Amino acid sequence: MLHCPRTGSKVIITGWTFRICGTLTTCSALIYERATVQQSPLGRSNLTSNTLKAVLIAVFLTALGACSSQVTVNAPTIPDPLVDRIPISVAVKFPDTFEHFVHQENVIGKEKWTIDLGRSNTLLFTKLFDAMFEEFTVVDDSVDPRDLPIDAWIEPSIDAFEFSVPSQSQTPSFAVWIRYRIKIFDSGGKQFANWPISAYGKSLSTTLGGDDALRRAAVLAMRDAAALVIMQMDRATGISSLNRETLSKVAASPEPAMPEPALPETAPEESQTTASEDTTNETG
Amino acid sequence: MSDQIDRLGKLLLVILPCIVVSACTTARVEDVRVTATGILDGEGVVIMARSYHLGNETEAKFTRCVGEALGRGASALRVVPNNEFVDALFPWFEPRTAPSDTKGLPDLLARPGVADKIAAKGVRYVIWLDGDTDRVAGGGSLSCAAGPGGGGCFGFAWWQNDSKYDAAVWDLTALQSAGTVSTDVSGTSFLPAIVIPIPLIARTRAKACKGLADQLKAFIVTDEFA
Repeated sequence: MLHCPRTGSKVIITGWTFRICGTLTTCSALIYERATVQQSPLGRSNLTSNTLKAVLIAVFLTALGACSSQVTVNAPTIPDPLVDRIPISVAVKFPDTFEHFVHQENVIGKEKWTIDLGRSNTLLFTKLFDAMFEEFTVVDDSVDPRDLPIDAWIEPSIDAFEFSVPSQSQTPSFAVWIRYRIKIFDSGGKQFANWPISAYGKSLSTTLGGDDALRRAAVLAMRDAAALVIMQMDRATGISSLNRETLSKVAASPEPAMPEPALPETAPEESQTTASEDTTNETG
Repeated sequence: MSDQIDRLGKLLLVILPCIVVSACTTARVEDVRVTATGILDGEGVVIMARSYHLGNETEAKFTRCVGEALGRGASALRVVPNNEFVDALFPWFEPRTAPSDTKGLPDLLARPGVADKIAAKGVRYVIWLDGDTDRVAGGGSLSCAAGPGGGGCFGFAWWQNDSKYDAAVWDLTALQSAGTVSTDVSGTSFLPAIVIPIPLIARTRAKACKGLADQLKAFIVTDEFA
């Protein structure tokens, strides 16, 4: 046991010590100071001091490592959805953040969490839209989608990423919320819909630590987003009405009839739909 | 040699009580049958946890335990792995989209590909688990200390766990609920310590798992209406 007068606390050098980061760091510095001062005149102390220095640095770095967690989410498993394809051709432009999204957060007085979603969002939406639309292509920034023979183009983005750990929620669960925004443009580049969606994933912590639980919660949130998009996208944004063939038939028709609107009458110019947080049972 | 035997004997004296003695539990298992059940060769079940969107906290390890218990022993059932079933029917059994009652089953099975996938997986019954294990009371104190000459603990601690789980059985052939099996196991664990702590653990969750699985087997295999 070490008494640390600077902090007025005692530190027991065991595995538990790594959890009390601040105290250990201060005391480590103090031990090193004392070891330096108490060198013997025979010169053997240099070796002792160097060894002690190495040990303390190792302990310090270990303690720092124990105070932060890094969670990397690799490609989440998004199975082929059982849905009918929407008969339109779309292009998708992914923002740079989708290629490498990293969220960092300090849980006050506790640990620092870094969640690296990597390319998982790009993979998620590529798989999703590929299964949802009759024709689908991914375009990069150098391409102007207005030059493409498509019915619509989509720009998804991440508005917010939040999570909670058991020490915050006072439950044994990790939870992740991801708020996506999906902007839809017609073939002429005019914004047709602006749809925010809130996805939620929750996973119980395991005895092996929180990293796996947080990773699973993030993947569940992404699957939740995928389910929401599949179930509600057309209803909420009316994207299927952008089919150029349908639009041209309507334009050529003598009747001033519009195709069945997927949204209430406020939708056509720019639909701003609120995120759906309820647990609507589509099958019911 | 005799020293070693003597030491081994002392060690066994300490360890044996921990293995042999366990705390008492009180268990109640009951079922409510709505329709006739029964299962044919090639038909199976899938175990699902109720959605966390509905506030359910059923532990994944409990779901796994029930699945494993149903799949072994007498009257073992064919259990389709949960993740395999959910992935095959994506997105219709996700936490947000899964049907909350049997009224939605006809619409769900009418969706493109859903009935075919369920038939391909050979799933006759979906068993929805709900509930969790809570610590409802506890007390006492226990302290441990260690030094260069050794260490030890002294004190007494206790806690009471309550494992309450319900399993709703849906028949995907009849498109209706077959009934419900529920279990409630409570038990108090003790941890006395005089130098060495001797845990007397009430394994309520494990007992609930076994009780529920046994009753589910009887519920599905035995058709009491026939």
